[in-house]
Amino acid sequence: MVSELKEDLQNLLNDIISGISNSETPSELEDIRINSLGKNGSVTLYLKNLRNYDIKTKKEIGTYLNEIKKQIIKSITDKKNLFKKKYLKEKLKTEKIDISLTPYESDIGTLHPLSRTIEELCAIFADMGFSIVEGPDIESDYYNFTALNISEEHPARQEHDTFYLQPDIDGQRKVLRTHTSPVQIRTMEKIDLKNFDEIRYIIPGRTYRSDHDATHSPMFHQCEGLVLGKNINMGHLKGCLIDFCRTYFNESNLPVRFRPSYFPFTEPSAEVDIGCKKESDGSLVIGEGEEWLEILGSGMVHPKVLYGVGIDPTKYQGFAFGMGLERLTMLKYGIPDLRPFYDCDLRWLKHYGFLPVDNPSLHSGLNGVFS
Amino acid sequence: MKFTWKWLLDHLETDRNISEILDTLPKLGLEVASVINLAEDLKSFISVEIIDIKKHSNADNLNVCKVFDGKNTFSVVCGAPNVKLGMKSVFANVGTFIPGLNLKLKKGKIRGEESFGMLCSEKELTLSEKHEGIIELEETSELGLSVSDIMALNDPIIEIEITPNRGDCLGVRGIARDLATAGMGTLKELHVKLNDGEFDSIVNWQIDLDQDNKYLCPKIFGRSFTNLENIESPLWLKKRLLAVDQRPISSIVDITNYIMIDIGRPLHAYDIDKIKGNTLRITKSKKGQNFFALNGNKYTLDDDMLVICDEQGVDDLAGIMGGERTGVTKDTTKMFLEAAIFDPISIANTGRKLNLHSDARYRFERGLDYDSPEFVMHYAAEMVKKICGGKVSKIVDFKLELHNKIIKFNPDIIYQLTGVKIENELSKSILEKLGFKIVPSEKFWHITPPTWRSDIDGSADIVEEIIRVNGYDQIPSTKLSRSNYIPKPAMSNKHRQAFFASRTLANRGYNEVVTFSFLNKAMTDQFNGGSFSLNLVNPISTELTDMRPSILPNLLSAVRKNINIGAQDLSFFEVGPIFKGDSPEEQISTITGIRYGEKIKKDWKNGVILFDFYDVKLDVIKTLEAIGTPPNSLKIYEEAPCYFHPGRSAVFKIGKTLIANFGEIHPEIIDYFGLNKSAIGFEIFYENIPLPKRNKISRPMLKISNLQPVTREFAFLFDQKLESEKVCQVVKSVNKDLITDVIILDIYNGEKIPRDMKSLAIKVTIQPTQETLTDAALEEISVNLINAIEKKLSGTLREM
Repeated sequence: MVSELKEDLQNLLNDIISGISNSETPSELEDIRINSLGKNGSVTLYLKNLRNYDIKTKKEIGTYLNEIKKQIIKSITDKKNLFKKKYLKEKLKTEKIDISLTPYESDIGTLHPLSRTIEELCAIFADMGFSIVEGPDIESDYYNFTALNISEEHPARQEHDTFYLQPDIDGQRKVLRTHTSPVQIRTMEKIDLKNFDEIRYIIPGRTYRSDHDATHSPMFHQCEGLVLGKNINMGHLKGCLIDFCRTYFNESNLPVRFRPSYFPFTEPSAEVDIGCKKESDGSLVIGEGEEWLEILGSGMVHPKVLYGVGIDPTKYQGFAFGMGLERLTMLKYGIPDLRPFYDCDLRWLKHYGFLPVDNPSLHSGLNGVFS
Repeated sequence: MKFTWKWLLDHLETDRNISEILDTLPKLGLEVASVINLAEDLKSFISVEIIDIKKHSNADNLNVCKVFDGKNTFSVVCGAPNVKLGMKSVFANVGTFIPGLNLKLKKGKIRGEESFGMLCSEKELTLSEKHEGIIELEETSELGLSVSDIMALNDPIIEIEITPNRGDCLGVRGIARDLATAGMGTLKELHVKLNDGEFDSIVNWQIDLDQDNKYLCPKIFGRSFTNLENIESPLWLKKRLLAVDQRPISSIVDITNYIMIDIGRPLHAYDIDKIKGNTLRITKSKKGQNFFALNGNKYTLDDDMLVICDEQGVDDLAGIMGGERTGVTKDTTKMFLEAAIFDPISIANTGRKLNLHSDARYRFERGLDYDSPEFVMHYAAEMVKKICGGKVSKIVDFKLELHNKIIKFNPDIIYQLTGVKIENELSKSILEKLGFKIVPSEKFWHITPPTWRSDIDGSADIVEEIIRVNGYDQIPSTKLSRSNYIPKPAMSNKHRQAFFASRTLANRGYNEVVTFSFLNKAMTDQFNGGSFSLNLVNPISTELTDMRPSILPNLLSAVRKNINIGAQDLSFFEVGPIFKGDSPEEQISTITGIRYGEKIKKDWKNGVILFDFYDVKLDVIKTLEAIGTPPNSLKIYEEAPCYFHPGRSAVFKIGKTLIANFGEIHPEIIDYFGLNKSAIGFEIFYENIPLPKRNKISRPMLKISNLQPVTREFAFLFDQKLESEKVCQVVKSVNKDLITDVIILDIYNGEKIPRDMKSLAIKVTIQPTQETLTDAALEEISVNLINAIEKKLSGTLREM
């Protein structure tokens, strides 16, 4: 009797399972579920009839029935998932978009090559212990010239093409600074000699000369450097500037030459040249070839300048340097002309500018690889 | 300073070649600006004879010539008037580069006649400006030789840049001395026959300066020359002068110019017959005196300029330029020669006031050899006699005794200042070769600089002399020590703010620009500037006359310029100074930006949206946030400067301090720049932002709730004039702990509500912190909120 019953149930199960697998729509499947496991479903009826059997049969058939029920539920669930997948597949077929389209979005902006260069200089000199200071663009004659050992009659003054502002009631004319060197004086004046050990400063800024042609702009940018301490000598000047040139131009073997020169506020003075090659099209390859290119001026701070700001030149000495930032930028990034620097031409700015995400540093690089 | 290779060899005995010399010059501080080797440029130009001439069939003024170079014959079309049969001239074959025309010669047809080259003028060879005829070579010239050999052009011209301290190298001899010291040969002795003169000078000096002003002319020498023939100079002399850009004039003038280049000693020659009286008086000018200079110009003198006068007036502006009236001419037979030392400062002042430049002034300003006047009297006499003949007088002079400058020098300072170790013997030998006199004592050397080095003033100058001859390449390269510091940022907070702001703005679409700090007057006035103290005395153009009071006009110009070249939508910013006055405190650093045009363009996805006030307001807020200013610390006011649209602009302040101006630019200014849409600008005064007080690097602990936030929406009716932002503030104040966000969903002022009113719909986010809020608690918050709005802003709840 039990075995007959089991056989009946097995047949029923087989029928239901094959019904499930043959079902073609979710509603057919739902019908099968109701007809088998619903309130009056075939399996449910068997369960209801269990109470008519003896305990042993009840237990055995009951267990068997539960097993069947589980199998049916699993089959239905599997089939349901299959329908879902099939449905989604059909749906996805209809959900195709035109991937070739791109909506318009305006570009993000760029940073000017000059501010880029200043940032690169900051990164390089920060590594050597320098910090930035600044000074005013409108200077007195004293800071721009006299304190730098450039007297009124000094021939060097004539080379400066100075812009003058209207004289005040005492007849004093202020000037637009012709170089960033006056900030050397302002910085040294502030030194508290009682607590003074050493300073290392770079001083970037705007400078002005009344000259306007293809290679001169009435406004341009310089960066000054100043190191002052007890044991700073010309060897440090050399070491510092060689390191700077090689880092800035990313050429570890860049030839750097120091050549005697003259600035009224340094003694001895040196002009710094880097090695380069001139191509037939006029472009330059930095670090190759036989030619020399002047890129900055430097020297040991003149004893008279130190004396003038109340520093004893027999106790302290140091070096200073100055460079034109437009020129450095043009050389490094192959920018051929000076004038467009200030022309605000969007095409130029986008081409030569730098992306704001590209933050020059020694660890992420100084050369604007992705910009 | 230009000189030629052979001229240098007059003073330098050397077996070095020119490239060794050219390599050495910059190492000594004498930068080589250019080397012109005509022989190299002109090697393809050859000597030919003209063996046949016939008239061009189609052009009257052209000839077709046959020229012969000793081997071949060429047919050449030539238009020169001086061409004649049998003449020897200079020929350039097809393919030759003609430097004077800057082109490569091609075979060509000239009016139907073929031409296989060119007969050349001096101009085409860059020998002179002469181009009226072709070069005529000596009849005896060999054919087929390079013209540079025939014309002795194989003397390279070297130009060097002389720094202001090296007046001694404004003469060839000084350069030779430096080279000799650097081991490039030996300095030749100058053999000059002393000539005491045969008669008393016709002209005499009179020093008309009081005791305090005698220093203006510490030394002046002169002598007379008679029976002169001021003929054209000999070829060698003319060639040398031409090579160094001195125009040959007459032999007397040429000799003075030659000596100036040769030993750096300017001279002045007077025509004795034109001097009124027989005394030349050295004195100071009086204001208003007129002076007619040799350059043909008239100068009105000021007080206290050093001049040399005769009885009639000023004959010479001392050390700068001679006068026209007493200058020498071709007819001069009697000449008085002057060689003096004048005060460089006085000469510089006079030259600057009169804006008069000359080779003499250039040299006087940089300091002359104090001993040169004596020497040059004999040196010049010898040359004048040789070239112009005649007789030489005795020397008349005036000189002040000058005490030698002696510098106490401790040789240890060489190492101390430069880090390079040089043996004392070597240092001494360098200095002595340069002409320094050294008296050593125990610790110090007592050094007398040579008379031609007035720039040498102290120990540092002497160190430079030693190390430059020893070679800057001998200076060690020493790393700056790291022992005194740990790595720290190079930027101060102010720089960092500019740096972060720039990156924020560029990320938001702004392009950084750099513009001039000056503007025209009209613009500075428009932007509240234009103070007299910020006006340039010598502007470079009428567009750049005044220091800018704002960067906005520069950015508006930038917009205008870009629209002219086809751009449409523009966002620019600049970080830079503006000027309120001429003192350092009145220079203010700002971050200024402008937007113009479409924020979003019309395409298949979006419709057009123009930039407006609110976009720029957000730019300002986001930028300020990036540089340490939380938005809730800012208060907004309607006080923007007059260059903004009065109803569409605002300022941000912290307390009473102005942080930013922003808004639409005033329509009148937009109109001035010829723009047809509104531009929206901002100016951030970032120096005014108070720096965060936080000293700690660590941050306060983060408190976060995992409970679900609840949102509620309300709509209220308000007076039309109410500042909407106030609603958000009031709502937040209802429960600062729980209400975390208020967003204005909608602003309505249409027909459904009374006029003069507006409806504001808001969404409030309530974030429970401790436990989920009960309905009652939420209801209580809502009621409090509605009451607060009613009480503080007279808003009434609208039924949703």
